[in-house]
Amino acid sequence: MGDSMTRGALLGAAGVAAVGAAAGVAIWKSGGDRPDLGDRVVAARVPDPVPGDDPRAGAWGRAEAIRVLLAAQTITQPALDALGIGDVTVRALHDGTSLALRLDWEDPDADDVASLARFQDAVAVQIPAASGAKPPSVAMGGPGQAVHILQWRATWQRDIDSGHRTGVADIFPRVVHDTTPDQLLGDAAVVYYPGRHAGNPLAQLGRTSPVEEAVAEGFGTLASLPQQRAAGRGVHEDGWWRVALSIPMQRAPAGAALVPGSSWPVAFALWLGDRGNRGSRKQFADWVTLEVAA
Amino acid sequence: MAKVFNWQLGREMECPYEGHRPKRQFCMIMDTNKCIQCQTCTIACKSTWTWGQGQEYMLWNNIETKPFGFYPTGWDVNILDRLGSQAWKGDEYAGQTVFEAAPEGERVLGWLPDSDDWTFPNLGEDEPTGMAGETTYIPDMPHKDMWMFYLQRICNHCTYPACLAACPRQAIFKRDEDGIVLIDQERCRGYQECVQACPYKKSMFNLETRVSEKCIGCYPKVEQGLQSQCTTVCIGRLRLTDFVSTPDTADPHNPADFLVHGRKVALPLYPQLGLEPNVYYIPPVHVPADYTTQLFGPGVEKAIETYLNAKDDPELLGCLMLFGATERIIHRFEVKKGVATAYDRSGAELVSVPLKEPTIVRDGSYPTDIKGEPVTGFRHNT
Repeated sequence: MGDSMTRGALLGAAGVAAVGAAAGVAIWKSGGDRPDLGDRVVAARVPDPVPGDDPRAGAWGRAEAIRVLLAAQTITQPALDALGIGDVTVRALHDGTSLALRLDWEDPDADDVASLARFQDAVAVQIPAASGAKPPSVAMGGPGQAVHILQWRATWQRDIDSGHRTGVADIFPRVVHDTTPDQLLGDAAVVYYPGRHAGNPLAQLGRTSPVEEAVAEGFGTLASLPQQRAAGRGVHEDGWWRVALSIPMQRAPAGAALVPGSSWPVAFALWLGDRGNRGSRKQFADWVTLEVAA
Repeated sequence: MAKVFNWQLGREMECPYEGHRPKRQFCMIMDTNKCIQCQTCTIACKSTWTWGQGQEYMLWNNIETKPFGFYPTGWDVNILDRLGSQAWKGDEYAGQTVFEAAPEGERVLGWLPDSDDWTFPNLGEDEPTGMAGETTYIPDMPHKDMWMFYLQRICNHCTYPACLAACPRQAIFKRDEDGIVLIDQERCRGYQECVQACPYKKSMFNLETRVSEKCIGCYPKVEQGLQSQCTTVCIGRLRLTDFVSTPDTADPHNPADFLVHGRKVALPLYPQLGLEPNVYYIPPVHVPADYTTQLFGPGVEKAIETYLNAKDDPELLGCLMLFGATERIIHRFEVKKGVATAYDRSGAELVSVPLKEPTIVRDGSYPTDIKGEPVTGFRHNT
């Protein structure tokens, strides 16, 4: 699909989203004044290290918030059948070494368990790998036009906050398992966990960050980076998710450096677990501008 | 969507991917008439492949009682209900497949079972359709009011897999060497789109690894010329792991081709869904044909007639006798002078089975005394 068609489809969907966002004002409950809709987010420079893993940090008060419109993903199949949320609030900061973003959205329930027909809340940030006048397709880039993606998942946040990976014993506490491979085989039991044994990054134990750093060249091509450098933390309170995440501004090998004084396209995606959102069943935003303050 | 030919429907159909048939197609033949639902197959599969945590509920192989048994609950009636009433015109399917009936924005018409749906693997076990009268002996064939049968279920390793079509990451692939359908465990991101799309519900989400898994057709055994675990442990000897051809390339000396295309006694499960599934069932002879036709397509009555004639059809009888007679995959078989013989791909003999077991009748006269002690009755095995 051509870039112009992609953008046309998005703008059409964004119109629908704007109606939803206007209706949403009535249910605004907390967070002070509702930020204006915008297409330009400025990463203010702060003297101290950015609070990339603390959405509650006072430093976020130095970042100007904007609301970015979300649309239902309908470019590829499977599509999102109904928009679950019309916008996400975005803030950005940098300290010359790391760039941090905070993403807030209203969601009464925290969905932080992946189970049978049960999906997690998540949010993602997308920045082109290379700088250039024309951004790649907002649909996760395209062949030879890579995008750098940071995805935060509520399941990973739960794993980290609880100190262990949520598994069958947490989800179905009454499960009966006479003898597990682990009890008999120790480390060799990993062959009975096929995804883990195959090296799938989603299947591994001991995750230390709730944010995955990946690259993509189009829908369905997301590839986790071998070296993970993204930090983050999401907190659910007062019916809102507030998620902070950060990456080193020297992005190699994922992409070109985010140098102070430069501007970048940035886009967002958001998943609501209780609505069955996952993969391409998501809300997403068209490119807006990320200004990295000098 | 691409146009592909589905020989089970007798017509072309729409499919999200271009058709590409593998060099050989893994298949399994199930003789439903011989199953006693002992679940030895289920346990063999479970203890081999799904012993890990997070796989507790997974039954890549299961046996369910039809018509009231399902795993997961309602797997078939749910998709049939969503598909709506459809029709065959003779041997050609005139209705819509799950690809052709896909809603806007979807690749496949599907549904996602809830966790509760995976909770009752023995739902409806041994439950017949009606009440027994004074006796459970029912002389009418097929039975009218009181019947049930056992359905053996694994992944169908479909020619046009809905799981593969639905995966947005192309993490599911069909092997060119044997047609076995696998989920790439490194590539899957656990979206459960395959679980939603597979009408047979044979993709399952692992709660520990958070990626999906499915029956792997025992490919490490198949690669060595061996039949699957569920096949070789079957005490009823009702299963055969083999390779099946398309009708135009069928080899009459290959057991699967002979049963599926030659005698046409083995039929696909819910062919109308459009996936060209590759597990073939010899239908139960005692079940009303309106029900079995819904399950296995329009060939049911002819298949049962041919099957019931096996005693006068030495080739068919011999082929059925080779089920469970060897652990190795049978490439070719022949029946000569009352003996069925199976051969592997190299032409080496695997096993020979007589169509009739030799019978020895013992002398019926017994001594009335042993060493002077009177024998007051027949001897037993003591």
